Amino acid sequence: MKIKFKPFLTAALICAGSAATVAQNEAPIEIHKPADYVVPVSLSGFQGEVESVLKFDLSVLGMAITTPEKAAYLVSGRQNGRVEGSLSQSGSTRPLWLRAYAGGTARSQAHAFADDIVKEIRGTAPIFQTKIAFRIKEAGSTEIAMSDYDGNDVKVLTHDGTLVEGPAWIHGGHGLLYTSWRNNSEEILEQDLDTGARRVFANYPGANLSPEVSPDGQKVAMILSRNGSPNLWVANLQGGGLLQLTRTREEDSCPCWSPDSREICFVCRAGRARLQKISAEGGAARPLRVAGVYANMTAPDWSPDGKWIAFTSGSGSFTICIVPAEGGDAQSLVAGEDPCWAPNSRTIIFTRRVSNKSILCLLDVFTKHVKDVRQISGSCSEPSWAR
Amino acid sequence: MKNLNLIGTVLLSGALLAGMTGCHHPKPMVTPIPNTGGPPQPSPGANNNLTPGNPAPMPNQPQVNPEPIPLSTGVYSQLFEGPHNEDRDKFKDDTIHFDFDSSVIKPSEESKLQDLANYFKENTRFEGLIIEGNCDERGTEKYNLSLGERRALSAREYLANLGVKPERIKTITYGKAHPVDPDHGESAWQKNRRDDFVLVTPKQ
Repeated sequence: MKIKFKPFLTAALICAGSAATVAQNEAPIEIHKPADYVVPVSLSGFQGEVESVLKFDLSVLGMAITTPEKAAYLVSGRQNGRVEGSLSQSGSTRPLWLRAYAGGTARSQAHAFADDIVKEIRGTAPIFQTKIAFRIKEAGSTEIAMSDYDGNDVKVLTHDGTLVEGPAWIHGGHGLLYTSWRNNSEEILEQDLDTGARRVFANYPGANLSPEVSPDGQKVAMILSRNGSPNLWVANLQGGGLLQLTRTREEDSCPCWSPDSREICFVCRAGRARLQKISAEGGAARPLRVAGVYANMTAPDWSPDGKWIAFTSGSGSFTICIVPAEGGDAQSLVAGEDPCWAPNSRTIIFTRRVSNKSILCLLDVFTKHVKDVRQISGSCSEPSWAR
Repeated sequence: MKNLNLIGTVLLSGALLAGMTGCHHPKPMVTPIPNTGGPPQPSPGANNNLTPGNPAPMPNQPQVNPEPIPLSTGVYSQLFEGPHNEDRDKFKDDTIHFDFDSSVIKPSEESKLQDLANYFKENTRFEGLIIEGNCDERGTEKYNLSLGERRALSAREYLANLGVKPERIKTITYGKAHPVDPDHGESAWQKNRRDDFVLVTPKQ
């Protein structure tokens, strides 16, 4: 299908790494379809890296690349110094829009185009130019690394040759907290990604584990055993405000924040491992009602739109599940562990153990479509999505 | 400069500089922290009746201590944080094992803990113990780290109840990162669910 490009009145100047759009927009036609519909999409006019980025990105959001005859949407365009693309609905002669993406790299242009396609078809926030952090295994030790959401451009951020755990983004994406065993004890470090500088955030006697920064950037939830049991504590990221939230005699673990930064969901052992919620100001913890799961429930993560809590069920064999954030029936999704939501509250990155290593995978929650992040070689785990 | 009054101790070691990525960085500025090494901050609104630094009272029978014992190492901090030797062979036959997903000290393991307690009670040398808590692979990462720590703490509490000063005992968790047997299956897993005991002596 031939697309005629309308002459563009102005070309936008783009800052590095991002792409702007220049277009004469058609009024978008409202398409109502269920979120679990696998949308068939055709792709034409692109080659090489641009084509492979578009294919990967669209399939992450549960779209199946097919021929134009079978497609509900047609994506076409060309790449000629910059990516120019249009999106049409099948059967319509006029595209919904035509846009040009300039500046940055061909890869970032393709990602920006894919973000616009997904916004039209799924109505979700852009994720294709976001970053992830994770733990990567090197010989005998683990290190903290980051990359593009699809595994491109891996940067290994630590070189201590020891164990590390649980990278947690600081809001804004300029820093990470993580636990390091570099001094033969578990301490939480804060690393500035712009300068590489590190400082000790917490090294109380006992274990300092599993830091998570609140979405408003103010507080850190963590597990400290300083008072004799691994319990949930909160402190200010900038120092002070240390508060012990739980005093259980079993082990507490896996804190995660509500999107409004007021509550923490975490794992508490009451018989088996269960999910509980507690106010960040303190008070009584209350169980999260999860119907339909009878195994251990661990590793929760609260979706940015506040609607869902994803978690891992099982011991040995693990399943990614979601439950409504206020409690309710759980849904089992796919085999895997350690889910982390993307900013769009629809995609989850998680870990899957395969043969003798771990890989990161991307799940489209509503279609259950999974895409492996195969770009990263080496064994990776504990992904954290910059939100 | 960010206010560092959260931090219990300040690290000035070269490890901080060594950890940075390849660029040249100025030495980090250190802000003196009031109450460094002092008692933990009281939690507002909490009924925290533990006296920092003092071990909980010892009952006559060895049993799970109902009160948690704070992790402060008191005078033994010099031992653990200063130059010291770690001997993994001394107590290698006293490694204790746990049931799946449990940190309860099993009756079969009690005699090993009694041996450890006797060693420490009988010697007044400036020596300490590191208890390393470990798990098998059948848990998610953060859950396993807390479980490993809980296993180390259970053994520490048991030893404290037998009369060992808790300040002589440091805990560390490795989750599933240090298996004895990397195989999959119960015969490997049961070897991995363990506490290892490491003797700590000052470097002469």
